[in-house]
Amino acid sequence: MIEEILDNYLRFLQSLNVGHFVRLFWFYIFFEFIRYFVIEWIVLNIWRLSKYLNRDKYEKARQEFLFENPLVSIIIPGKNEGKHIYKLIRSLKEQTYQNIEVIVIDDGSDDDTPTIGRDLEKAGWIDQFVRNEIRGGKASAANTGLRFCKGKFIVHLDADCSYDRDAIEKIIIPFYLDKQVGGVGGNVMVRNYKQSLATTLQAIEYFDTISIGRVVTSKLGVYRIISGAFGAFRADVLEKVKGWDIGPGLDGDITVKIRKIGYKIKFEQDAICLTNAPGTFKKLAKQRLRWDKSLIRFRIRKHHDVLLPNQSFKFSNFISFVENITYNLVLNVKWYVYLSDMIINYRSLILNILITNFLLYTITNFVKFVLYSVYRKRSHAPMSYFLIYIPCMVIYFGYYLRIVRSVAYVQELFFKLSYNDPWNPKKTSQHAKRMGL
Amino acid sequence: MEEKKPEIEQISDSVVKSDGFSYLIIDRFDGLVVEDVEFHDAVIIDGRDEAFVRQIVRRIRAHKKHDIYLKPVYILRGATITDPFIQKLTDGTLYSLDQLPFLKDETERIRTRSSELKFTESISFEAQMIEKVICFMYTSEDRVLEPIPYVYADINYSYPILSVNFSRHDEHSILDILEIAEKEGIFESEFHDKVYLCGNCNSGRLSYREVCPKCSSSNSKTQDIIHHFPCGYVGPIDDFTNEIDDELDCPKCNKRLRHIGVDYDKPSVLHTCNNCGHKFQDYNVNAKCMSCGQDQRAEQLAERTIKKYTLTKKGEMAAINGFVTTAKDIEEIIGSVKYETFKTMLKYEIERLRQTEGSSNVCAIKIDNPSQVYSQLGSDVQKDLLIEIVKVIRSNIRSSDIISFQNSSTIVLSMNEIPTRIAKKILSEIIDILKRLMETTLKSMEVQFHTHVIPLDYGMSPEMHIHQLTKELE
Ligand SMILES: [Zn+2]
Ligand SMILES: [Zn+2]
Ligand SMILES: [Zn+2]
Repeated sequence: MIEEILDNYLRFLQSLNVGHFVRLFWFYIFFEFIRYFVIEWIVLNIWRLSKYLNRDKYEKARQEFLFENPLVSIIIPGKNEGKHIYKLIRSLKEQTYQNIEVIVIDDGSDDDTPTIGRDLEKAGWIDQFVRNEIRGGKASAANTGLRFCKGKFIVHLDADCSYDRDAIEKIIIPFYLDKQVGGVGGNVMVRNYKQSLATTLQAIEYFDTISIGRVVTSKLGVYRIISGAFGAFRADVLEKVKGWDIGPGLDGDITVKIRKIGYKIKFEQDAICLTNAPGTFKKLAKQRLRWDKSLIRFRIRKHHDVLLPNQSFKFSNFISFVENITYNLVLNVKWYVYLSDMIINYRSLILNILITNFLLYTITNFVKFVLYSVYRKRSHAPMSYFLIYIPCMVIYFGYYLRIVRSVAYVQELFFKLSYNDPWNPKKTSQHAKRMGL
Repeated sequence: MEEKKPEIEQISDSVVKSDGFSYLIIDRFDGLVVEDVEFHDAVIIDGRDEAFVRQIVRRIRAHKKHDIYLKPVYILRGATITDPFIQKLTDGTLYSLDQLPFLKDETERIRTRSSELKFTESISFEAQMIEKVICFMYTSEDRVLEPIPYVYADINYSYPILSVNFSRHDEHSILDILEIAEKEGIFESEFHDKVYLCGNCNSGRLSYREVCPKCSSSNSKTQDIIHHFPCGYVGPIDDFTNEIDDELDCPKCNKRLRHIGVDYDKPSVLHTCNNCGHKFQDYNVNAKCMSCGQDQRAEQLAERTIKKYTLTKKGEMAAINGFVTTAKDIEEIIGSVKYETFKTMLKYEIERLRQTEGSSNVCAIKIDNPSQVYSQLGSDVQKDLLIEIVKVIRSNIRSSDIISFQNSSTIVLSMNEIPTRIAKKILSEIIDILKRLMETTLKSMEVQFHTHVIPLDYGMSPEMHIHQLTKELE
């Protein structure tokens, strides 16, 4: 049986010519290989080079920042996050940059978070513990935090994350490199990469797709989402956009809002944050459904005006938007087109096509993983640990995440399910739905 | 019937006799010498002015001599007096002097009880205080020492018979003394209440305020925070008001606020400090001491337990036999002799003078504010202080002269074979040195001294000498 398949496959490979190869693997060649490998790699080199050339400028910006020594307000909104706060605060006390104030916002927790928060406040470990007795959702909690902030910069953190010693320093420097920067995203990595297969694969995804992807989009000026786990903003810019809008997906939303009023958004690879990724594929699916739905909701529904040539129109915003839509929505549709194309036209070769695709992707993933390690800052995990998991990435990216994404798009495009997400209190979702936000 | 009416004999303006007892009537401050109480069996205070009564009672009960502080005190026409402090320290009231015969039993009883007591005259201040309390409790046949809530007490509670010995600012040391007594087994205690005292000066006169956690100012403004559901805006109510009408409009999405719980709510409050601009949700509670002005976190206050004390059997025996502490008494101070020894030596010196011509003197130095010294220094430092004082005196008198403590605040010494004039001069020099010493060692507190010298007179007994000497010092 296996011999027969192998035999068959070898004969298939021998029969392949260039035209035939392009016809059978157009999806891989045009979308994955060119866009997500060749172009990405070229941009990475440009980024590397300009970083090297601008190293004096960077050092000057750093000196300016440290000399000015501005107050940085750190806001940590969340519900029932008391158990995580201690670890987080410990990593904040270790920061190289110390002119910080830490404000924890408890969004109507029903566990012992209030007690823990008040204790930490009394002990002077956090500057303020603010509690909303009634839950209002993540956006309102973050906005409440803004009310108590005094800093020139606002750093938004998630309670279940922890931060490198120089993370705060590193995430603020870009504001001094370019005065037009309104927000900076930090580099999120997976802390619990050893916990399960799901977390290991996510760790690889964060290394290659998310982190490197953000380096590239940031270099191209089309960086989309400042992660809620680690993002820094100019306080005056947040004031102008009147804080966060109702989520889910508020991280991407506020980024678009800041772009719209003319500020730049940057990604800082060196500002590292460790997060706990969802430990099972089921939990992961839930998280990704939420993220993917917010693409539809915020990009297409709420902020479609960036496509229109009006006075707030900006070419980079337009590109950012198109890039985002292409990568996520169109690509997703195209993949189904490709799959149908193959099934209809090359039914007899389908097994061989699948095997070839698998090999192409896996080889690419290996090459990317090894090649990109040059561009990665460093990792909290030994790279060799991940090598044997690389083959799984084809399934993870090609099937698992793709299916989740498809489900999310269908749910949101046709049923607007994000408004029913228990992630927000119902009272706020109702209003968002009615207003088409 | 007429003959049976007991006789009340008016001896003078201020003395009446009844049933063989002599009553001292006190109705004004003029010409009042509290020491006179010693020569009567009881005191009657005119009760028309509560403040007057309080002061007189205080002066009698605060006196160091048991012949004075244990005397029965009655109030004449005191029906309107409600001060619990006065009530605790007096033994009864009467409406007119005609009622004096009714006091016979009580006066008799207190006299008998007092006569059963022995006094040790310890030189430890705590021991003196404890002895005083238990003797007073014994004579008034009151086994319970109860704290009374008292507005004039700095610690908010008063144990009258102890409190009279202290100025308001020093009253907190009563609690320490009672603790010592309890450890000695004199009292059993029962929880009554807790008080919080200033960490700086131990006063309980505190004003509690909600203050800014950053700068401790109590000047702040409080606003509701509004969360507008449709747009997620969160801000103080001021952000939502407009100048035209009373409606609230969202500054982010311009929508009008309609119905709490439906399109907006008020999840918390925002306090803004008017002094430093700090924004916060939770106040600190600070207590400002009204005595010394210290502003402190409520957590920094000294927490003290107020207890109700009951005299034990051991306590009662200590009252009868004289109280000797096991731990806190001041042992013999080098350079001084026991008071009994001093009296014996005095007797011999008087005998000697009877046979030879010459001039000898007996002197006393008294610390005028011993309870203040005690409450601010504690007994250990106080003992060091006494040692220092003896050293100074010793180095200024001849080696044949002797020094002794009558009690913890009164030092007696002999100055033999010199004219009284010279003795006075030496004594005033000693005081100068002592004052300078105190100034340099105890910067925050002034120790006041009082001195007196009398020449020995072989016509008088040693007791009479000492009586004259100390009477002059009061
Ligand atoms: Zn005070
Ligand atoms: Zn609004
Ligand atoms: Zn303040």
